Amino acid sequence: MAPPVRYCIPGERLCNLEEGSPGSGTYTRHGYIFSSLAGCVTKSSENGALPVVSVMRETESQLLPDVGAIVTCKVEIYKSFRPGDIVLAKVISLGDAQSNYLLTTAENELGVVVAHSESGVQMVPISWCEMQCPKTHTKEFRKVARVQPEFLQT
Amino acid sequence: MPGDHRRIRGPEESQPPQLYAADEDQEPDARDPTRLRPVYARSGLLSQAKGSAYLEAGGTKVLCAVSGPRQVEGGERGGGPAGAGGEAPAALRGRLICDFRRAPFAGRRRSPPQGSGEERELALALQEALEPAVRLCRYPRAQLEVSALLLEDGGSALAAALTAAALALADAGIEMYDLVVGCGLSRAPGPSPTWLLDPTRLEEERAAAGLTVALMPVLNQVAGLLGSGEGGPTESWVEAVRLGLEGCQRLYPVLQQCLVRAARRRGAAAQS
Repeated sequence: MAPPVRYCIPGERLCNLEEGSPGSGTYTRHGYIFSSLAGCVTKSSENGALPVVSVMRETESQLLPDVGAIVTCKVEIYKSFRPGDIVLAKVISLGDAQSNYLLTTAENELGVVVAHSESGVQMVPISWCEMQCPKTHTKEFRKVARVQPEFLQT
Repeated sequence: MPGDHRRIRGPEESQPPQLYAADEDQEPDARDPTRLRPVYARSGLLSQAKGSAYLEAGGTKVLCAVSGPRQVEGGERGGGPAGAGGEAPAALRGRLICDFRRAPFAGRRRSPPQGSGEERELALALQEALEPAVRLCRYPRAQLEVSALLLEDGGSALAAALTAAALALADAGIEMYDLVVGCGLSRAPGPSPTWLLDPTRLEEERAAAGLTVALMPVLNQVAGLLGSGEGGPTESWVEAVRLGLEGCQRLYPVLQQCLVRAARRRGAAAQS
């Protein structure tokens, strides 16, 4: 026998903060949990801790990923960098206790500056995503940096 | 004698003679100034829009659709000052874009299809009233588009559009703090200013002043206020706002039912 489904609308007061903890699709104000969506109220019965009150919509659970959400992406690293490339990157975070810097190359001016082809010769960039070996004329994929003219030494 | 069409030019436009006749319904009898017209609200009726709502109040019919959230390149806006209460900085909050359009057949006279200044003002009023209710901090760098189409103007068009827009946003699954309910008022010209709640088109046309209030019922906060017309004693405007807020609270249960019914319909459709 299916439990009775309770529908709610945005702004509806669901319960006290003492009776539940806020989940997705809710917000808290003045010690109460209010609904933020038009959908079904679900109470997950935790063992020990307070039940988590959340509002679910049947179609999609979340429209945009949150900070800290786990998402799947498909990347092709071999098309951007190879071991041994000299890369111009920008620091976006000093990292945490392990003190690993976080770098990004997600700009036009950042990316591979110097790369050697498989035959060992330094390659020449021909577009933002390709470099060519002057000896064997083979093209290889790299994420090439658009270096500013004042940094080029000619 | 045949008319001289070269020198005597007829009017360019032609209108039906009823337009210039006196209105059949003369001065309406003293009505209860606090009466609200019965409202029909239905959400989730457009299959191609993310969220939609249709609202009918008396003769006023308005259809509202919501699309989004769509990613916008917001990199150039830079870091603005953080909002009160520790919300995301202004550059990261989502944006609400509202559009109010009056159908050419909405009024008694056919209005040109391209927008007029009044529509832009009403669209801005819509945006100002809906922004406090939508949790824009949950949609960083995204853009929500709300478009309201007035199919027939039977009075209190902006109020109906506000309510329909809030219903459409809730139907689209956009996170909101509360619904927004709109209510229109008008004051007839004369010495004794009695404010009429939910005026009809006739009452609005003859009014000396008009007011639209938008309320978030559960939080009991005014989301928007747009008034125009002659001044008058401040107490009468205060009285009007109070009357409008009362009207909004009375409308709330109808909208609640409408959204619950739509959620039920969605649940039944998802299961089958």
